[in-house]
Amino acid sequence: MNLYFRPKLLQSRLTSVFRSATTVSEVVQNEQVDIDDTENSLAREAEIEKKRNISRLSAAHYNVINGRRPYKEPMALPHLTVKYNRKMYGKYGAASGVNPNICWPSKLDIEEKQEYEAVAYPFTIKEMMTMVAEKREQERLKTQQRDNEIAAKFAKLGQWKKELKEKIAKKEAEVEAAKLKKERLIEEVRRHFGFTLDPRDERFQEMLAKREKEQKKREKQARLEAREKLMIAKLQQKKVEGVSE
Amino acid sequence: MGSRQITEKALTMLRSLPRVSLGNIRDNPGYKKNPKRGRGQHGGDKHGAGNKGSGQRQNYMRLGYETGNNPFYLRMPHEHYYKGHHLRRQYPPFSLHELQLIIDKDRLDISKPIDIASIVKSGMYNFTPDEKHFGINLTDVGADCFAAKINIEVQWASEQVIAAIEKMGGVITTAYYDPHSLYLLRDPKKFFESGQSIPRRMIPPPDAIEYYTSAKSRGYLADPEEISKDRLRLAQKYGYELHVLEDDPNYEMLCERKDPRQIFYGLEPGWVINLKDQCILKPKDSELQRFFAS
Repeated sequence: MNLYFRPKLLQSRLTSVFRSATTVSEVVQNEQVDIDDTENSLAREAEIEKKRNISRLSAAHYNVINGRRPYKEPMALPHLTVKYNRKMYGKYGAASGVNPNICWPSKLDIEEKQEYEAVAYPFTIKEMMTMVAEKREQERLKTQQRDNEIAAKFAKLGQWKKELKEKIAKKEAEVEAAKLKKERLIEEVRRHFGFTLDPRDERFQEMLAKREKEQKKREKQARLEAREKLMIAKLQQKKVEGVSE
Repeated sequence: MGSRQITEKALTMLRSLPRVSLGNIRDNPGYKKNPKRGRGQHGGDKHGAGNKGSGQRQNYMRLGYETGNNPFYLRMPHEHYYKGHHLRRQYPPFSLHELQLIIDKDRLDISKPIDIASIVKSGMYNFTPDEKHFGINLTDVGADCFAAKINIEVQWASEQVIAAIEKMGGVITTAYYDPHSLYLLRDPKKFFESGQSIPRRMIPPPDAIEYYTSAKSRGYLADPEEISKDRLRLAQKYGYELHVLEDDPNYEMLCERKDPRQIFYGLEPGWVINLKDQCILKPKDSELQRFFAS
């Protein structure tokens, strides 16, 4: 197995292995320091406190655990930000040493916020209310218009139904009349020949055409006569009128 | 087994082992070098992209494509009523039954006005503003056994719920909070510890304005006179006798409402709350005051 110990790692491991030995040497050093500051009881107290701290926490963590801000002076770039300082004030109060006036937005912040709000909230509540009222009114008008249309159409419905029925009946009657006429013609042709002939037969067709022709002729004659009669009647009337005058 | 025995055993083992010689020791690290020199960043390997195919070429198929199958996202018919569902406001429900439960368990103080902050604090309700949750929808489950006189503010309530609360002599208001204010209400401590000044509550969006300005839904922007008229109308509709608020011993509490710009009861926008020092800092700058009053 290839193992590579970095010198730093090795050092730390060694110190952890020989912890008891190093603490002993430290104590020797500290005793020397104590001797230097024998008059200053405060410093001594501090020293004792330091020795009592066997938590092995880093200074920052030790501070946090004891309800103090972790760093007195900024250690990284984020520690210079307003957000971080606000947090320090919010969490550790006046003891954090932060001036609380950074808790409020600056002039620039306010301007930015107002600009944002002008875009995000373009309408006031009143304006929105009127807009909604207008929309509702338009919807109502639209439904009402449609209702009116339907009511007007419904009023005419009976008449329309009647008209439609009449139209259908008329058409049916016409069809029936045409059918009857045709049947009559066929019957006549059959009578002429004296036996039932296939309507597709040539002779039948010929006869039919002839009959139809005759029929048309007769009709025409009838029309002419009718017109003549009418004319005569008119003339007579005129004569009568002339006499009376 | 004594320690002597162990030592003996170890020694015998050691004696039986071959001597360290050139034949059985490992090379020094870095002694041997690979004669091949691969090209590229990782010595000519495949950079973790695998062998062959779309994976190695990193020409991934478009999202949802199933190499010719009818894709899953197209298999279901189009359902138009879900259109824009990811943008709509949601109000996670909270029933009157649950409300009664937290009152009975004394998790909620009904001697004070109740808002979403106090309901979240009870631990029986939670919501996530970032999932488009816009607060409580108080539902009518348990409306028949609801028996508490409260002044409550929720974000959505049906007519039955309003009737159930007013029947008991209580007061209900529906109020809109923008997502940012909802974050504050969900965890006020976190906000106060961030050391910021309390912001203003924002106005509702145009599609919510109708609900929050109508007296029928007891909107916080509705005309109070209209509301009192509608209280009577609702009492007649549901057939109960309306309690006269003015004669109530808790009149003060029942009439307490938040300002449309206010987020927390008793705290105005612009104030800074410090929990460590137990103090409130108020802005004195006129410009700040104007901003927070607008």
